[in-house]
Amino acid sequence: MHIEDLVKRYPTGVEALRGVSLEIAEGELFGLLGPNGAGKSTLIHCTTGLAQPTSGVIQVFGHDATGNYGEARQAVGLAPQEPNLDWFLTVAETLDYHAGYFGMPKRERRERTEELLETFSLTEKRDERTRTLSGGMKRRLILARAMMHRPRLLILDEPTAGVDVELRLELWHYVQRINQEGTSILLTTHYLEEAEQLCDRIAFINGGQIVGEGTSSELSQRYGVEKLEDAYLALVGRKELSRSHAEVTAS
Amino acid sequence: MSAAQIRFATLWRREVNRFMKIKKQTLGAPLLETFLYIMVFGAALGSRIKHLHGIDYILFVIPGLIMMAFSTNAFANNSSSILQQKFQGAIQDQLSSPASPLELLLAFSLGGFMRGLMVAVITFCISVILVGLPVDHVLVLIPSLALVGFFFSQLGVLTGVRAEQFDDVSFVQTFILQPLIFLGGVFYSAALLPQPFETLTRFNPIYYMINLVRYGFVGFSEVSIALSLLALTAATAALFMVNLRLFSQGYKLRA
Repeated sequence: MHIEDLVKRYPTGVEALRGVSLEIAEGELFGLLGPNGAGKSTLIHCTTGLAQPTSGVIQVFGHDATGNYGEARQAVGLAPQEPNLDWFLTVAETLDYHAGYFGMPKRERRERTEELLETFSLTEKRDERTRTLSGGMKRRLILARAMMHRPRLLILDEPTAGVDVELRLELWHYVQRINQEGTSILLTTHYLEEAEQLCDRIAFINGGQIVGEGTSSELSQRYGVEKLEDAYLALVGRKELSRSHAEVTAS
Repeated sequence: MSAAQIRFATLWRREVNRFMKIKKQTLGAPLLETFLYIMVFGAALGSRIKHLHGIDYILFVIPGLIMMAFSTNAFANNSSSILQQKFQGAIQDQLSSPASPLELLLAFSLGGFMRGLMVAVITFCISVILVGLPVDHVLVLIPSLALVGFFFSQLGVLTGVRAEQFDDVSFVQTFILQPLIFLGGVFYSAALLPQPFETLTRFNPIYYMINLVRYGFVGFSEVSIALSLLALTAATAALFMVNLRLFSQGYKLRA
């Protein structure tokens, strides 16, 4: 994914993205970290057509994602932060309809639905309406739905926000497996250990701008700190919150 | 089927599936309502009024009831479907797909159109069986009903897109559409009204729609059929273009 000088200004005048440029290589698991309101979700929404960029370029596998967006959208799967499931649909219908929106033929849809229900341990819930699912099952279904049309780039917007430890580890396992199978992944998260554990490269976003980019060790080295957390705090201008700093001061 | 055809068929299927899953509310209730109107105005009032412009009163009323059922259901379906999906965020799944604004608009429109059509067709069949409702001008009836259904589908889409809460939808339905329909001459002839109500009725667009449908069924109209058809076509096309522009801009759909 190639993003160049992306600007998103809302009608209220709020500038959520201020000239973001980003490059994600094919097959990479890329982490985007930043505090609330930093612009992570806006960036994702601009990429997937849920928000219209004010200016800038977004290309997915060489295809324009804003103007003639058909090919670009076909290549992207989105698992949003908030469970946005259709209450009228069952679990199996949710997957089937999603694949239909992406033009997948019936037979292929049926096979892929079975495959993903099995992968995400949802087979027993296949005929239940989505609103009756537990929070964890909704998360799994959203991830399964995002993968339904076999996207080459999977965008996961805070997939583990508010989930328990067990489900978080389960989701990490899925994400790593999907990436190993060749799918590029853009993951936004609040959790530094999640980014450190999963991502090949990481970018920090703050105030609508990319303020640092590299591997976890590159970022730590660049800012002369031991932990990614300290690099993050330095980049977002909150060094005083550093736990290492607090330990030194206390001793 | 091409990928685009599969996509459109799925978008449309989703809309039909939604109202079929709650058919007691979306089909049963409007059918009961229409049947009650027929009972009250046909059996009760009809026994007193007998004829209007030489037509059995019940046959005079039923075309308007069919048109009313078609229009209110097309409107209600689309406005509530879009608003519900906006609330749930489920519309994001469609908006982030490769579907074009035109495909999305047509699919949303046809959902309501189908619901309205089903209620109208069932009402028509029951009316044929119970009171022998004729079809005098099928070539006027079919385009008239199709245009009425599509017009209200578009109006439903527009209301659903613009709405931010369910109150916004019910305001249009209760305070704008319902009075216009009731005062548009479903149950009476405008010619029988005293002034200024007769003239006022002629400013009500629903009056022309009812007359078109009535002409199609029983061959009686108080307005020019050609002009009414032309005006309805123009109004429907204009509304469609407005909606297409809103979908292209992502108005209240995309951030």
